[in-house]
Amino acid sequence: MKSLHKILILIFIVVAGTGEFSCKSQKKIAAEQAAAAEARKIAKAKADLEELLSDNTGLTLDEKESRLKVIKDMNIEDAEVKELIVKVDEKLKREREALMAKERAEKLAREREEQLRREGTEPKGLNEYFSLIANSTNLATSNRYIGEALGLFASEDTPVLIIVSKSGNIVDYDRPTTIRRYLEYLKDQKVVRNEIENVVYDANGKITELELIKK
Amino acid sequence: MKRSSIYLSILLLFGVAITVLAQPEISPERKQAIDSLALEKVKDLGKYISIIGNKDTPFSEANRVIDRALELFAEGSQMGVSSINRKEIKYYGIREYFQRLMALNYDRVRIEWFNIEYISDLVRQPDGRYVGVITVYQRFTGESDDGLKYVDTTKKDITVYVERKQTQIQGRIIGFWDVLLGDIRVTETKPG
Repeated sequence: MKSLHKILILIFIVVAGTGEFSCKSQKKIAAEQAAAAEARKIAKAKADLEELLSDNTGLTLDEKESRLKVIKDMNIEDAEVKELIVKVDEKLKREREALMAKERAEKLAREREEQLRREGTEPKGLNEYFSLIANSTNLATSNRYIGEALGLFASEDTPVLIIVSKSGNIVDYDRPTTIRRYLEYLKDQKVVRNEIENVVYDANGKITELELIKK
Repeated sequence: MKRSSIYLSILLLFGVAITVLAQPEISPERKQAIDSLALEKVKDLGKYISIIGNKDTPFSEANRVIDRALELFAEGSQMGVSSINRKEIKYYGIREYFQRLMALNYDRVRIEWFNIEYISDLVRQPDGRYVGVITVYQRFTGESDDGLKYVDTTKKDITVYVERKQTQIQGRIIGFWDVLLGDIRVTETKPG
């Protein structure tokens, strides 16, 4: 009976000893796993950061900035990672500034293009000339537009007919004028009271007759 | 001989009457269109006068505008000119009026026309022309660098003639309304 008691105590000691050993082992494994995960995270972060430092990502600037933010949010306590973050941060800032400068330049180029178009470096329509001449506040500018608009016509004496009313088959006109006089009229009166009704062209694409109608 | 002349005169008068009666009345839409056209010509004149009087208008430009403005008038038309400093109203031929306007002895001249409207509608006359009267108010401001300033507002009545004419444009017969302005009479002059 006494020996049975001793055996039971012995078994208890062995089992308890084994359990403690097992618990210690699991903690160690978990710690090792955590360390391995952290190492992988650091390695991945370093790899990503180095890729961001290189220009081989094929990502847009927004995507690069987004990826850097994800890495920063991990709060990795690694000197090398921190150093890389600073470098990537500076690089992306430079890229952002360059991109903004490019966008500003493109905007300026577009505005310049629009200005040139308004100033007449691109061909304008007759309606546009009418409006430009009537709304011009400067005599030299309106005269320049008149000169350009006359280039659309076979001659500056090209007849301009202005319809004042249409009633059945009866068409009533204002006193006929010429294109030069009509353009000068727009310059003087500063208002476009008529719109284009019909245009007749010659074989050279020049206007030989213009018919307008009261608005 | 005397009797035959009388017969001939009666016949001619009868002929004219028949011709006038034979001309159809125009539709209200066409009448409204010529009403607007005549009013527009008066507004055009107001702008021309403002350009001619403006001291900033280059000489050559003012002369060009005078030519355009003269085209608005029937031959022999006159323009009344008044002043708050005298009772008399002087009448000048239109060209002379424009030349005097251009040469006014001020450093700055501003002329505005406003309240432009018919006081007598266009009415068809026996000769087929339409005649009406349009009234305008003109505010004249003349200033000199030495501080002299003259301002008045005059009411002017403009007789307007509208006549149906035809012309040929590139082989096509075009019927048009020819609007011509007649005498411009001053009916009222007030300071300011």
